[in-house]
Amino acid sequence: MSLLEVDAVTKRYGPETLALDSVTFSVQPGEFVAIIGPSGAGKSTLLRCINRLIDITAGDIRFAGVSVPTLRGSALRRHRIQIGMIFQHYNLVNRLSVLENVLHGRLGYKNTLQGILGLYSEEEKREAVRILETLGLSEQMYKRCDQLSGGQKQRVGIARALVQQPKMLLCDEPIASLDPSSAKVIMDTLQEINRSTGITVLVNLHQVDVALHYAKRIIGMNRGRIVYDGAPHNLSSDQIYHIYGSEAGELILDLKERYAA
Amino acid sequence: METTLTSGRIRVRPRTRANIVLHVTLIVLVLLTIYGLATLDTRNINIFTAFGDMLNNFRIVLFEARLKNLSWLELFRELMITVALGLITTVLGAIIAFFVALFAAQNLAPRRVTDAVKAVMAFIRAVPTVLWVLFFAVTAGLGSIAAVVGMTFHSISYLVKAYAETFEELDEGVLEALRASGANWWQTIFQAVVPSSASALLSWTFVRFEINFSVAIAMGATAGAGGIGFDMFMASAFYLDLRELGIFTYAVLIFAILLEWGATRLKETVGVKRQA
Ligand SMILES: Nc1ncnc2c1ncn2[C@@H]1O[C@H](COP(=O)(O)OP(=O)(O)OP(=O)(O)O)[C@@H](O)[C@H]1O
Ligand SMILES: [Mg+2]
Repeated sequence: MSLLEVDAVTKRYGPETLALDSVTFSVQPGEFVAIIGPSGAGKSTLLRCINRLIDITAGDIRFAGVSVPTLRGSALRRHRIQIGMIFQHYNLVNRLSVLENVLHGRLGYKNTLQGILGLYSEEEKREAVRILETLGLSEQMYKRCDQLSGGQKQRVGIARALVQQPKMLLCDEPIASLDPSSAKVIMDTLQEINRSTGITVLVNLHQVDVALHYAKRIIGMNRGRIVYDGAPHNLSSDQIYHIYGSEAGELILDLKERYAA
Repeated sequence: METTLTSGRIRVRPRTRANIVLHVTLIVLVLLTIYGLATLDTRNINIFTAFGDMLNNFRIVLFEARLKNLSWLELFRELMITVALGLITTVLGAIIAFFVALFAAQNLAPRRVTDAVKAVMAFIRAVPTVLWVLFFAVTAGLGSIAAVVGMTFHSISYLVKAYAETFEELDEGVLEALRASGANWWQTIFQAVVPSSASALLSWTFVRFEINFSVAIAMGATAGAGGIGFDMFMASAFYLDLRELGIFTYAVLIFAILLEWGATRLKETVGVKRQA
């Protein structure tokens, strides 16, 4: 059974903007999928519809057999717990410590009062510390987040998503603000998580070469539609033109060749 | 486009309605000021003797200050009454304003709610504190209770605006991240909104305390709330004792300086300065 089924999903922002136009695809457990496409294609919108940060206009999304668009209240929280999200700008609470930020991933499991007071169980804290260790952040545990480098912040973001014990990770351009070597660390980490724990990864990327290198499946989007869905090695130059438009496609292919060489 | 090119000069600021309103308002204010000064009734007072008398009074207040009707201990107690009035209205106002402001911030509450809350607060704020105190004095009688309620009332409306604007400046992404991990609204407030805005909220509260302290002085006299304001009123209007008034002025001044110093220290320890 598919973990995620996106069925003819349409999203409009007002009458003018059609951000998603009848998008259909499904994702099996354990897949590593990269979504590529030009700016404004609807990649971020698509991810946010999956965990219902955005309401869709039409269509249906099923996650682990549950229909997402009609979820409310605690059912919606239970849905979101199962999906970790990682952001381009990390979205950490800068004034809190690394450990506190990681434990935010547990809030969905807590009742309101526990969450307000930040009362986490010893077991939860131990798990958070363990994840920080595997991500090489044990020394930073009590540092305030605004004292970290970009790459470290993104690893904290990943740790926060992992303590949720999610079935799937949604990553919205996780490396767009990072230098090449930190970017590689982050992508390697995501790949390692995908391989060792079987967590499904859905990642928006701007770098086609990175997508081709890490993903086992590429979804290409343009103007709210899926224009490519398949294995990376089947992605032809024509299709890259199709996704990005001809001029940008030229540049990307250049880069791709250089990367291959 | 056409107009900017053909007219030969490029407009830097768009000619919006807001800009026009601003200009008209400024011009009207200038005209009113000129009219006011020109038609001022001076009652044949010689401006130079009046000015000299004023300077002499200042000299008495500042350099010949001494206590007469009160002991130093009594002076201290009176000052503390005023401080307490300022403090209690600020603390009460801050606590209530925090919760109201959550429903006035556009990134935390639905638009319809924030609009309604903001409108009510704007109305309360538009009426001066003194009027609110007098208004509550109708039911509570003139005195400390009316002063506390009225001052708290106005503090709430002021702090709600300040707090809500602080909340609205928060990074939307952080709120989104917590929502995405399944946190509910109250959890997001206390785990992301409060830690991110604590120092700003604190400094706004301190600003309001400074305001409330000076309002408390005025209330001592006008609303009979007691404290150093009442003594100042008695000294200046009843005993005509400029020298004792001088001591009161110094007491207030010293406390205000202490307050300013404390506020700066507090901000340093809490760390308003952020490392980017
Ligand atoms: N909150 C919003 N209100 C109105 N329009 C929006 C909103 N968010 C996105 N859009 C529009 O929806 C379309 C898709 O935006 P989206 O952010 O999903 O694109 P994207 O593929 O993530 O682009 P990028 O690569 O630049 O991040 C764009 O045309 C955008 O202008
Ligand atoms: Mg995007």
